[in-house]
Amino acid sequence: MIGAAAKLLMNTQRPDGGWGALPYKSSNTECTSLSVLALDTLKNDHSMGSIKGGLDWLIQRQHAKGSWPLSDTSISASWTTALAIIALSRFPRYQEQMTRATRWLLNQEGRTPGLLARVISVLSPRRTTVVDLDPGLIGWSWVPRTFSWVEPTSYALIALKKVRSSLPGTNIEERVHQGELMIYDRMCEGGGWNYGNSKVFGETLWPYPDVTAVALIALQDRRATQGNQDSLRALRKMMQETDSGLALSWGSICLSVYGQNTSEWKQQIDRRFELTGFLGETKTIALSLIASVNEAMAFRI
Amino acid sequence: MISRRNFIKYSALGSLLPLVPACEQRVLWHPSAFRRKKLSRVAILEAARYDLPLKEVITRGIKLFRLEVKGKRIVLKPNLVEFDPNGVINTNPAVIEAAIDSFRGLGAAEVVVAEGPGHRRDNEYLLTASGMYGVMKAHSVRYVDLNSDDVRPTRLRSSFTSLKHLYLPETLYNADLLVSMPKLKTHHWAGVTLSLKNMFGVVPGLVYGWPKNILHWQGIHNSILDINSSLPIPQFAIVDGIVGMEGNGPLQGQAKESGMLIFGDDLVAVDATAARLMKIEPRKIEYLASAGEFLGNINYDKIEQIGENLERMQRDFRVIEEFKGLKSLEG
Repeated sequence: MIGAAAKLLMNTQRPDGGWGALPYKSSNTECTSLSVLALDTLKNDHSMGSIKGGLDWLIQRQHAKGSWPLSDTSISASWTTALAIIALSRFPRYQEQMTRATRWLLNQEGRTPGLLARVISVLSPRRTTVVDLDPGLIGWSWVPRTFSWVEPTSYALIALKKVRSSLPGTNIEERVHQGELMIYDRMCEGGGWNYGNSKVFGETLWPYPDVTAVALIALQDRRATQGNQDSLRALRKMMQETDSGLALSWGSICLSVYGQNTSEWKQQIDRRFELTGFLGETKTIALSLIASVNEAMAFRI
Repeated sequence: MISRRNFIKYSALGSLLPLVPACEQRVLWHPSAFRRKKLSRVAILEAARYDLPLKEVITRGIKLFRLEVKGKRIVLKPNLVEFDPNGVINTNPAVIEAAIDSFRGLGAAEVVVAEGPGHRRDNEYLLTASGMYGVMKAHSVRYVDLNSDDVRPTRLRSSFTSLKHLYLPETLYNADLLVSMPKLKTHHWAGVTLSLKNMFGVVPGLVYGWPKNILHWQGIHNSILDINSSLPIPQFAIVDGIVGMEGNGPLQGQAKESGMLIFGDDLVAVDATAARLMKIEPRKIEYLASAGEFLGNINYDKIEQIGENLERMQRDFRVIEEFKGLKSLEG
């Protein structure tokens, strides 16, 4: 599968150097960052040109303030900035771009309820529990100035933890701590995460394997905590039940980060690729390549 | 911990601003958004089970509206939001399959299935687990993930939210007809989720995230109105009411056997009728009440019911405690 996925990835690079969600879609920062990471794992001469094209695409699109847009159409600063940092962290020559991006990331805060909302909350006569989360904890949002969610917060934590040593004198440690608190607060009953809601109207919501894996990767330096251990168990169970390239690839990368044997999962990824081709989705193809070749390195802190 | 009421208030803070001009009787939609007809038609057709030949029912429903289908590119937009092996969350694949067959049988140039799930990013899982993948493969139908489609900035034709613009998928701009195919369900935030609420799925997750939280900050009702007033192509609705969901919908409610499909080219009228079929008063649903002013008809006397008799097909859908007030029909 490795050869086929790598070839597919190189053949579907857009003329502008980036990658889109599917071969015929416009380039975006998420797919380009993950594809660069994936091809970098191959460490061969054939992929060097593709990697350079992808890196050029990223560098040319970084905003002056450090953020990345999603694409050439959706040009506002986006959540994909953290993924671009993770990709560039493999290439030390882009230190200046990473530092600029990290400073932008540190200035981004998920929105919390305002003073008026908090006053209303205190005065509210009815207190039927609907969602079981602490809205005051600050992580990162998908869209600037909206609520914090698990996946963008996880990407931000991975990015910040990768570059933290190069940014002394910033509030990086405080933001990392807050982000971790937020992620643990959103954990589902029994471990694992979904998009960021563990309960609605008292009913337990179930975790997703892909989000669980990303959150666990973000919390890899807290591996002894009970939440991590419970979530690892939940992840393994979900991977047995969820047959998809995305779940298996993220899950396998995560288990590898945690030092676990992933050969069984690599076989499953191969089988799934043969069956569905991952619907041709660039993101999954790139992640499957990382899972199959390099496993943990691209996301190890 | 945060209470339901408070959560709604947090979420609704952004929606307070548009309400201020409403108090001053300011019209919140551009004249180009007005498409309410003098009289709308909604068809209720009996379909007892998913294993019956649904193609005939759907073809009949489409023909009742004399839809121009020949040579057109059709986008079927199911409600594929999550998967629970024990639940009835999604539009049943049998209904989608029958719609594919029907539109092709009526001469459509292309039929695609398109959705942008609001919680999960894993399309491969959702499609295979729900059975949709098998249907599309068997019929060689393309699936478009609206969450990651190329996008086009679109100026909103109404201003219930303060967004002014939304990015919408190119797939919509490249099609001729968008068919909203929701499940007949109650919804713990909006009261009901039907063909108008189903359009949340056209908002691209890559831009707005999972969940599409910016829409919640702006208020669910406001967002439903702005999205639906600004869609770039004509719409049609086919509601899967063979088995609906009551109680704590849209994910964790209980199955409600209802035995019908609901059709119409006025989505507001379709949803108003669907609500009445659930014994829910449409004029008490905030977004339906507002939509009834400009997007379509909600009043009983402005909707010609065709097919089965509404009263005969009505089912008493349970709602959560907070929405008990919606259950008193006002004629």
